[in-house]
Formats: sequence, structure tokens, C-alpha cells
Amino acid sequence: MSQPSSTSAERIGQFLRNYYIYLVLVGVVVLLSLANIDRFDLFERGNFLSERNIINILRISAPLLTLAGAFTLLMVSGYIDLSVGSAMSLSAVVYAMLAINGVPFLPAFGITMVVGAGLGAFNGFLVVKLKITPVIATLITLSLYKGIALLLVQDGVSAIKSGGGLKMPSWFNSYGREGVLLGLPMAFWIAVAVTIILVVVQKRALLGKYAAATGGNPTAAKLSGINTTKVVFVLYGIVGVTAALAGIARSSFMSLGDPLSGDGMELTAILVVLLGGTAFSGGEGKVLRSFIGALIIMSLTVGMLTLVPAYYQTLVIGGTLLAAAASNHLISRKESAS
Amino acid sequence: MTSPQQSVVLSVEGLTRDYPGVRAVDDVSFSIQNGHVHCLIGENGAGKSTLVKMLTGALAPTSGAMMVNGAAYTPDSPHAARECGIATLFQELHVVDELNVLENLTLGMERSRFGFLIKSDLEDRVIQTLAAIEPSIDPQARVSSLSVAQKQIIEIARAASSGANVIIMDEPTAALSEREVERLFGVIRRLRESAVTVIYISHKLDEILELGDAVTVLRDGKHIATKPLSDIAGRSELIEMMIGRTVFQDYTPRTTVTDETVLVAKGLTNTLLRDVSFHINKGEIVGFYGLVGAGKTEIARAMFGADEVTGSIMFKGQAIGRSPKEAIAAGIALVPEERRTQGLFIDMTIRENIPVMNLRHMSDKGVFRSSEARTAAVEYVEKLNIATDSIEKHTEKLSGGNQQKVVLAKCLFSKADLLLLDEPTRGVDVGAKAEIYEIIKDLADEGNSVAVFSSELEEVLGICDRVFLLFDGSLEGEIQNGKDVDIAHILNVVTGGFEGAVQ
Repeated sequence: MSQPSSTSAERIGQFLRNYYIYLVLVGVVVLLSLANIDRFDLFERGNFLSERNIINILRISAPLLTLAGAFTLLMVSGYIDLSVGSAMSLSAVVYAMLAINGVPFLPAFGITMVVGAGLGAFNGFLVVKLKITPVIATLITLSLYKGIALLLVQDGVSAIKSGGGLKMPSWFNSYGREGVLLGLPMAFWIAVAVTIILVVVQKRALLGKYAAATGGNPTAAKLSGINTTKVVFVLYGIVGVTAALAGIARSSFMSLGDPLSGDGMELTAILVVLLGGTAFSGGEGKVLRSFIGALIIMSLTVGMLTLVPAYYQTLVIGGTLLAAAASNHLISRKESAS
Repeated sequence: MTSPQQSVVLSVEGLTRDYPGVRAVDDVSFSIQNGHVHCLIGENGAGKSTLVKMLTGALAPTSGAMMVNGAAYTPDSPHAARECGIATLFQELHVVDELNVLENLTLGMERSRFGFLIKSDLEDRVIQTLAAIEPSIDPQARVSSLSVAQKQIIEIARAASSGANVIIMDEPTAALSEREVERLFGVIRRLRESAVTVIYISHKLDEILELGDAVTVLRDGKHIATKPLSDIAGRSELIEMMIGRTVFQDYTPRTTVTDETVLVAKGLTNTLLRDVSFHINKGEIVGFYGLVGAGKTEIARAMFGADEVTGSIMFKGQAIGRSPKEAIAAGIALVPEERRTQGLFIDMTIRENIPVMNLRHMSDKGVFRSSEARTAAVEYVEKLNIATDSIEKHTEKLSGGNQQKVVLAKCLFSKADLLLLDEPTRGVDVGAKAEIYEIIKDLADEGNSVAVFSSELEEVLGICDRVFLLFDGSLEGEIQNGKDVDIAHILNVVTGGFEGAVQ
């Protein structure tokens, strides 16, 4: 492919490989906006492309958008974290507990991030020190973290929320809901900032390059003197921090600390990363594409909500991913054959 | 430093390495001159790989010493060896496909500030090194778009630019085409010009005669000679040093070989094989002998239908070679090279392993007749003398020889007429070896045909009636086994000397 004399078919193929995810996003948005939502009296939002609808989608997307980048880097290094959803729930509960007990915004925010880093580091410890297979290790912490989150919530209530003499402070849901720029809340802009940082890390920092080397050929990485253990440990820590940010965003949006709020997030995160073209085997993958993948999934989810009954949603999303995975597989097979 | 032709870059003194029951390297001493291409040769099992593993820090010597530039050298990992200026080009490539050439060359050596990469002279330096040894590779190209040969050159360039002054190359031409070999030789010559020492291990004697400055010959773990190649008369002298003894051979012609042809292969060709044709008779044991990478396993896999191949294979008048299922149905069984990963279900019991190849014949409408499996297991444990206290023992817990017998039992129980045995006694102790040879001979006496694929000359000369000689993916000769086989001729053929086959 380094030869300059590539045929136009090859050039189109190359273009598709690089930009298909953006085309998919545009396609999904166009399809959803063509559908006349007014005819379906489920919501009063009107057109899919209305300002309110766009703002709403981006607000709900904030947790997933925050997670997608770090999760991509972890998967690029050939590892996985199934506990992100539980880490997110636990962070949401911790954050809500701090807030409802009178801790101001910034300290509560900081403490929750430290907790998230700790949860991620513990995963890293299990995987690189105790050498437990990543899937098993993080499956263990999936139940562990969720268990702690459930314990933190008082008996008899489903979540940490106003009531019983305690009241959520008034600032609590502005982080996830109140527009600060272009009508979008802080949580969304933090997700954007995290993504920008991780895009730069992937392109320009040692960590990004070492993640690719660790996932692409671990032996080569080790023989080159790269401390792959440290790389993996740091990546788990970063995923933990973004899980905490996602938990804060979710609990602020919902105005409560729900110990089940992150349920299923690990699957969505994996799917988003795969949709963005990251190989399950590691080595390959781009942070920005996962971010776009997250937007696609969220557009579909919300769009479906207005078009079809709720119980079809999961099926439609599964179908979309099947199509994405199959085309991804076909493209990469073609590439290796050429 | 003394005068350049006198400077020794690396030397070993009384180097010895023991494995349980075997002394793989036995009191080896020699030294390597700076800036030379120093070749290391010997038959399979002569101790080359063990020696190389010690030089690269993958194995520690049992006794003896190594010196680099006069200082004691005790690497405990390939990385430590690299820091002493000794880099290794392994047979499996250690490049990251997902990064580009430049990123691969600088991997692990980058300069950074606050964790972010910064520009340094490093990049210019590696680009210069790469341009000096192979200008045709674009530093910005993704490594996944390069050929195997180019990836190998990337690894050499990385070693050279990391300041290695000795590069060990273990069979570097095994996976290369002729033109790529020429290019690699160019790279090696340019390395030599820049005073980098290359330790070159190869079975291909012509390469050694073309490229080498000096050669060290090993045989049975012992050091035979280290000589400048200018003092070597030619291939025959190298071969003589490699064998240097009469090969122990106790073949007695078997009487049950028939003239009835059961298998005919014509023009087998794929990425590794070149136009291989042969036939096998009923009741015959044929051997396929060649050195590592000569194409033995590839022929076995092609016959079994496990690899794609062009050409034709007829077994009892029926075309085969498209899938293992077809081969099994036609009556062919394969005992693969890697028994732990390809032959056995290592965490299942003996009883569960033996019927694996004909589960279908042992079930009624999908219901498995387990009593039959038990009977079979008991029968074969006894017949093949498998040392175990129970048929319920996990095969993982058996010795190498007994594991191999379980794999054999699996194939025997499938009632195959043609057995393909790829390295049937690798990692098997002497006693079990003899038993396995008896099993093979009994099988052939009963009218089955057996093909043995082996890189041990004594093995093929011990049991095979006919031996095919392979070199570099093509069949270069065929000999009838007997008292007067010419060992020097065999070694000449399998190391690439094409003087024509003698019947």
C-alpha cells in the first residue's frame, strides 16, 4: 500500500476504511431525520434534528462519550475491563452520598475521581500482578464493585436521593443538565475534553504508542524494553477515572445515586469500541472513532425511542452492530489478502 | 584494542548446558572476530539452538563462561543481552504490525518530555541506518504492508541502530524467496562493512560458503572446529565435519513391502512446496527426511488436506487432499508435529482421547456407546504398553513418550490404512522410542502404509524402507534403504547440493 500507483478502487477502499464510521453517523442521522416523528405521538420533540433533541441526545450521551476513549486505549493494548459499569455505579453512589451529606461540588468531584482511579488500579493489580485473565478479573470486580454500591445504599430505598431528612443540594444536577456552552452541560464538555486529551495521547504520547505495541506484539514490546506491565496498569487506572467521571455525569443527570445506573455499560462500551473499528485482538484502533461510534449508538437509541416501541431497541442496536462487525471483518480480510 | 584482525568480540570458554538426561552443549570453546560473518553449523540436535539461547540470555549455562570484548558476559534475558550489544534476529518476527516503520525502529528508545514524544536526533539516526542497509523501505510505511523479508530487515535495522555490535541470525533465510535472500545478503555485507559482527546460523551450506568469514562446527553438543572459510575446501569438508562418524543404523529389509501403490502425489505446490511428486506402496514405511524448514510438515499437512495445495493426491484411486474430514474418511490418519497442541486433548483422560477420531462410528443416532470406548482404551493401553495406572488418567500427567502413544492409539483405533507420522519421537525418551518403532513396523507388517516425517537421520534410516530427501520445499532425491546407504550423499542433498539422486 506504500506504492503511489494505487488504482481508484483501492483508493476508494482506503477512503472507506478510514472514514466509514463518519459516513455511518451521517447515514443514521439522515435516516432518523427523514422519518417524520410528528406522526408518532410518542414524544413532542418534533424533528430529530431539532435543537432540543440534539441537546438532549448529547446530554444523555455524556457518560458513554467520557468512557469510550479510555476504553479504546485499553482494548488497543489487548486488555478489557468488564467492571466499568459497576465502577460507574459505585462512583455515582459515592458522589451522591458526598453531595447529600453536604460536601461541596469540587471536593466531592475530586474524591469520586480518586475512588475511580483506585477501582481501576485494583483491576490493574488483579490483571498484571496476580495475573488473572482480564475477562475473569474484571468479571470478579464487576460483582464486587456493584456489591459495594448496593451496600452503600440504605435498606428500603433504591438509590441515594432526597428524603429522610437529607436533601440533594440544588447544584447537584446542574453538572449534567444545565447548559454552559451552546446549551450543553459541563458533563458533555468534560467528555469532549477527555476525548481530545486521549486523542493527543494516542497520537503523540509514549503511552499511546506503547499501548499499540503491547497489543500488537507483546513479545516485541518487551524485547524493546517497554514495561508492558506498567502500561497496562496505567491504562486500567485511566479507565477507572473515566468510569468515575461517567458515574458523576449519570448521577447528576438523574439527580440521584443509583447503584444500578451503570448496568450494561461494559457491553455498550465494548460495542462502541468495536463499532469504531478497534480490533478485539489489540494493536489497532482509534479513540476518535470510538467517540463517533458512541454518538451513533446514542442517536440510534434515542431515535428508536421515538420511532419504535422500546422493546425493539435492543434488537435494532444489535443488528446495527452485527452489520458493523461483519463489514469490519470483511474489510480487514480484504486488506490482509491484498 | 589490538590490531583489527586480532580483536575478538565474543568468546565462549568451556560452555556446557545440561538438560535432564542430555548434555546438549558439551565443553564448547571458540571465539569470534570483530566484524566477521561467523557461521554456526551442525546437524539437527548438534546443540546450535541451545548455544544460541545461551548467547541471547534465554538460557543460563550449566558451567563455563562467555566474554564480550574481554569482559564477563552473563545475560539473564534477551533484553540484558541487547544492552551488552548483542541483538538477536529470531525466527519469529518481533515487529509491531500496527505501527509504522519509524515507530518500530524507535520502539523503546524514544525521547519524551512529560510522557509526550519529542523530536530528537534518534529519528534521523535510525532513518540513516535504514537507508544505509536497505534504502527501498519507506520509514513512514505501515509495517503490516511490508513483506516478511522487509520486516526482517526492519528488525536488523533496529538492532543496528540500537548500537548492537553483534547480531545473531537464526536461520534468517528460512521464509525468504531467492531474490529476498540476495537482498538480505546485501544487508549483511553492508553490516560487515560497518564493523558489525554477524553470527549466522543456517542449514544451507551454500549460503555459508558464499557469505561467511569463519565457521564453527558443532556435533553432538561438542565443538568440532572453528576455521576461517578460506581454509575450507568446500561443501564436502563441511559435511564431513558435521557427520564425522558412522551413523548408527540397524535397518533390516522388511519382507512385507508390496508393489501395490496406494498413494500417488503429483506436483504438490503451495507457498512452501515446489512440485513435489511421489508414491507410497501398501505395507511400506517411507521416510521424508530434510532439515528444519525443508517442507516435511507441509507435505504431511497437504496429504491430510489440512493445507491448501495445488497438484493431485490419489489415495486408492480416490482424489483426496481437500479437507482432513475427507482424508479420515478415506482412511488416512495424521499424528501431528506438536502433540501437546495439535494431537492430544491434554486435559481429557486417556479413555476420552482414544476414540476421538471415530466418535461417529461409535454412536447410535447420536448416542455415544461409552462401553466401547472403555474397551478400546483398555485394549490400546495394553497393546501399546502405555504406562498408566488407569485409563481415567489425564493425558497431561503422562510422560512425553506415553502421550505420543496415546496419539498413536487414537490414530490406530481409527483403523487408518495410511498413517502420517510427523516427528513421531520428538521429546520421547529412548525406551519409548524403540517401542514406537516396533509399533510402526508391526503396523506396516499388517499391510498398512506409514509415512514418517523426521529431521532425525537415524530415525528414518532405522525404520524406513524408502527415504525421500527434501531441501527447501522440493523433493531432491530418493534412496532405497539398505546396508550401503551413502550418508555423505544424503547430507549433501538435504543441505542444498544438487548432484542428482543416486538410486
